[in-house]
Amino acid sequence: MARVVVMGGGIAGHTAALHLRRMLERSDEVVVVTPNSNWNWIPSNIWVGVGKMKADQVTFALGPIYQRQGIGYEQALATAIHPEGDASHAKPFVDLTHSDPARAGEQGELEYDYLINATGPKLNFGATPGLGPDGHSNSVCTAGHAVEASAALQASIDKMKNGERQVLVVGMGHGTCTCEGAAFEYAFNVEHEVRQAGVRDLADIVYLTNEYELGDFGVGGLTFTQQGFQTTSKLWTESLFRERGIRAITGAHVTGVEEGVVHYEQLDGSISSLFFDFAMLLPPFRGVDLKAFDAVGSDISAELFAPSGFMKVDADYSAKPFEEWRAQDWPSTYQVPRFPNIFAVGIAFAPPHQISQPRKSTNGTVIAPSPPRTGMPSGIMGKLAATNVAEMIKHGASAEVRTASMADMGAACVASAGSGLRKGSAASMTMYPVVPDLVKYPGTGRSLDDTFGEIGLAGHWIKLVLHYLFIYKAKARPGWHLIPE
Amino acid sequence: MDDTDTDIARAPLPTANTLRARKNLFIQFGRFLAINTKMFKIIGKEHRHTGHRSI
Repeated sequence: MARVVVMGGGIAGHTAALHLRRMLERSDEVVVVTPNSNWNWIPSNIWVGVGKMKADQVTFALGPIYQRQGIGYEQALATAIHPEGDASHAKPFVDLTHSDPARAGEQGELEYDYLINATGPKLNFGATPGLGPDGHSNSVCTAGHAVEASAALQASIDKMKNGERQVLVVGMGHGTCTCEGAAFEYAFNVEHEVRQAGVRDLADIVYLTNEYELGDFGVGGLTFTQQGFQTTSKLWTESLFRERGIRAITGAHVTGVEEGVVHYEQLDGSISSLFFDFAMLLPPFRGVDLKAFDAVGSDISAELFAPSGFMKVDADYSAKPFEEWRAQDWPSTYQVPRFPNIFAVGIAFAPPHQISQPRKSTNGTVIAPSPPRTGMPSGIMGKLAATNVAEMIKHGASAEVRTASMADMGAACVASAGSGLRKGSAASMTMYPVVPDLVKYPGTGRSLDDTFGEIGLAGHWIKLVLHYLFIYKAKARPGWHLIPE
Repeated sequence: MDDTDTDIARAPLPTANTLRARKNLFIQFGRFLAINTKMFKIIGKEHRHTGHRSI
């Protein structure tokens, strides 16, 4: 009998736990440790953020699902890993601080044979003074944040209905943010809602981003064929901004947010301020506050975690210039080299480097989108880790592990540009691979046959279908495992 | 210095026909099927490209 502990109940962790339970014997134990009581389909938070969905349409309670599936569930925050055990534990274990109301603050320990770290990000609002719901801007990173953003947006729309002009700023709250696609979606959904409310002429909508140019999306932009020509996501995205009348400020690092004003620096070193009535600015991510200790209690966190707090896995982390980056630098099994019974998947693993070319302002400020690794890649990594753990439990040292590098993995993304069964629209995109491979695909780094983009109502329908499909899957309804990641 | 708004102003503007096509239910139903096919192709590639390695 083996015990697998999954830290995190988001897309990667929840996917891993469900597949593990399906793949392992009943005598094996699967335990999820997460401080959250709810699962959240984060891609639909943008619709909560504009009042098109309620929070309970994008979340559900994890406890009943785990009880039905036979998965152990500790509503707790993992605070430390002891991969070698210690004097009183023969097996490795994790330290926990319980967060369910009945045991809040209680400390605990949980031994494991295999550990999957899918802790996701720490929303690092503190990196930018004044950023976030506790400061002076909104967020859509959680369903709760999105509800607050919706209320603030509605207040602005009400003011416009009374004839008051409003400046609505949407974008990234720091130079090293990721998830530009989510901010892009929210900007266009805000524009759509303002237009639907009949007050578009009173709204100045500004997209403020750390991307070097529009259409970068943290993946260095895309090139695809359209009507017999190669075109770029830059031109395609700029066209959408022109059509919808949204201004954009690129290459920006937000240095601070005060009541009604955001301060930012751009790549040319210029410092500017932008006054706003409503702002939704995403925070940068870092790894959660997790420590690691060896058998004698020495802190080995620096060995297991990158300075960003994300866990180091089977990637090439040696520092090298952008020109020397290779697809092979990216991890393929997501195993921790010194501890092959530990995996880190989804946002929790440390990328070897950015995908977009990193840049510095003339003042030396790093303005570089971090690599996105949410959604489809997160689910694929979660299933991969589950499959490999199951193989290792069944076959021991003779097990063959599967590999799935982001340099050999595609992604399908649907970025909403407004909701409504007849009036909605979305930008549908596929890319293959996520991390460009200039050796395999000289020129653009990606397959032109499998990288494409299209805007239209069909995209909205697809995003809506995916919403219901993935919530069905996450609830482990009949046939859930047949739905691909 | 930020040329982004200049670039946006020079970007191709969709014609009225293109905008209508993006909302046309019949055309979009066809696109729905076509885009899903492209996405399933990416998912299919995933399975073909997943490799194996000894521990």
